[in-house]
Amino acid sequence: MSRAELIERYQAIPLPTKSEEHWRFTDLTGFDPDSYTAAGDAPASLAATMLEIDASGMAAVGEAGITIEHAPEGIRFELLTDEHPLLGTLVGHSEKFAAHNAAMWEHGLLVHVPKGAVVEKPIYIRVTNAIEGGSLFWRLLIVAEAQSEFTVIEEYASASAELSGYSNAVVEIIVEEGARVEYVSVQNLSQSTWHFASHHATVGRDAELDWVAGGFGSGGGKVWIQNDLAGQGATSRVTGAYFVDNEQKLDYDTFQEHIAPNTTSDFAFKGVLRDTASAVWRGMIRVEKGAQKTNAYQENRNLLLSKTAHADSIPGLEILANDVRCTHGATLSQVDREQLFYAMARGLSRQEAERLIVRGFFQDVLDRIDLEPVRTALAAALEARIPQA
Amino acid sequence: MALLEIKNLHVALEDGTPIVKGVDLTVNTNEKHAIMGPNGSGKSTLAYALMGHPSYEITEGEILLDGTDVAELGADERAQRGLFLAFQYPHAIPGVTVTSFLRSAINAKRKAANGGEDDPIAVKQFRIDVLAAMEHLKVPRELAQRYLNDGFSGGEKKRVEILQMAMLKPRIAVLDETDSGLDIDALRVVANGVNELVGPEMGAIVITHYQRILNYILPDYVHVFVDGRIVASGGAELAQKLEAEGYEAFIPAGVGGESA
Repeated sequence: MSRAELIERYQAIPLPTKSEEHWRFTDLTGFDPDSYTAAGDAPASLAATMLEIDASGMAAVGEAGITIEHAPEGIRFELLTDEHPLLGTLVGHSEKFAAHNAAMWEHGLLVHVPKGAVVEKPIYIRVTNAIEGGSLFWRLLIVAEAQSEFTVIEEYASASAELSGYSNAVVEIIVEEGARVEYVSVQNLSQSTWHFASHHATVGRDAELDWVAGGFGSGGGKVWIQNDLAGQGATSRVTGAYFVDNEQKLDYDTFQEHIAPNTTSDFAFKGVLRDTASAVWRGMIRVEKGAQKTNAYQENRNLLLSKTAHADSIPGLEILANDVRCTHGATLSQVDREQLFYAMARGLSRQEAERLIVRGFFQDVLDRIDLEPVRTALAAALEARIPQA
Repeated sequence: MALLEIKNLHVALEDGTPIVKGVDLTVNTNEKHAIMGPNGSGKSTLAYALMGHPSYEITEGEILLDGTDVAELGADERAQRGLFLAFQYPHAIPGVTVTSFLRSAINAKRKAANGGEDDPIAVKQFRIDVLAAMEHLKVPRELAQRYLNDGFSGGEKKRVEILQMAMLKPRIAVLDETDSGLDIDALRVVANGVNELVGPEMGAIVITHYQRILNYILPDYVHVFVDGRIVASGGAELAQKLEAEGYEAFIPAGVGGESA
């Protein structure tokens, strides 16, 4: 489809409303994606990073373009073009925001790691909204050829905490036979930014995808995460950690699609909310007819630090095979007053006690992350987000 | 000046129900006081109110620690001034290891002692101290890296309470039913811990229903606590008398209670 056709396509799709099942808890009233400017010269100042990463490759993405600061040896780490045959094969243009991205994206990256290549240090991409009232359409395509191993870390940020903007991201990840990919996506946009993202991966035979999603910023929007377990013996693990406050609204819509037999997926999202912040997590596990011996797990746990914070968890199962193991769980809890008293009785101030309890709450999601630098970086990001005493 | 002086203390629940109805008690360093009473007499409420639990309101009276009234202070400030409560039911904090919790508590205390400026204990020193205290109190090494009280047995929880007491070096320790759920070996370890810590730097209040723990922590004073008040005080022999005769003789006419 040409860009002109894609724009038409985008315009033909109405903005989702709360009457649609997937948007039941996310209200887009007052949001006009077309009111943001699509281009301009980004100011030189970039956002302070939440992550301290020793990277093998590094790229900075902004409204004005992409700077590849250094590229790892032996792989393709380059600008993405419209002509790439795999572009759009996972994320199409039937959904409003994916369609908007398909129509509008200008700056994208390709990470293509050839067969058997192992990149030791992570590849680090920083995506920064820097123009007031601007939109940023970011597009990432990751191709992991058979037996390759590498890590991609993607960080979304705003140039200033007050910046108002619109962030629209599409990430497609193709993990071929026996490859091992770690993908980390940390979102720390300003609270006046709308963030919409469609992240979709397909995992091939005996391949492994280990995914970490950190949600700290943005005011509203929706993040779709889909993993297709497409080859026998494929495994995907998604670990989500989020912390929101003020009037922030986060919405995760995850989909574990088991297509091939003997596949495993394990999604765990944990979040802490304070003030009047809210979060929605909707998780669907679908096991296709041929996907016998599927092992699928999903959980969402929320900890509320105030009475006015709110979280909705909507787990779902759709099982068409008969020899599978699927489990799910969701919990919602308040910081326990007795726990707080116990810690305060040891001399910790209320804030210190609360921080300790929050840190403890996130510990098991951090424990799921194997790669030491990523775990340390995410722990530091969480630490920065937990209000200081 | 007395170390701890409780004067005419009255404590009520959030709904206004009075539980502690006028307690006077003075505790000095080098002293072990036992408060014995039947279930439902308000012993644990007294312990919680001394520590500053938000569910219990002090409606009258004073709690003087080194001459300063702490009744209006939060639990954290009371702890920083040297008050310690060994909980009957210690709470779990999942994801926070015993050592990490201990270090946070020590650093909170050091910060308060340093005029509100951080003064964290050196990692090496902390490690030496905690290992020595664990060894001494027979706390298994593996507990150090487990999450605080998360899935601990009753005995493990109580040992870790005493470990915290040993590390935090309070001036007044209140032990609330510390003997409940302990086997004899654990009871002995816990009692030895208390016996060693009470001295020129610390006094203790041992709250208990049964006399058993007092075979191991020999009290200097015994107070009989019935219906929110101390109704009799004496020496260690009073505990023996209670064990032999029960609380019956101390319950005034017309007062309810489990044994009435």
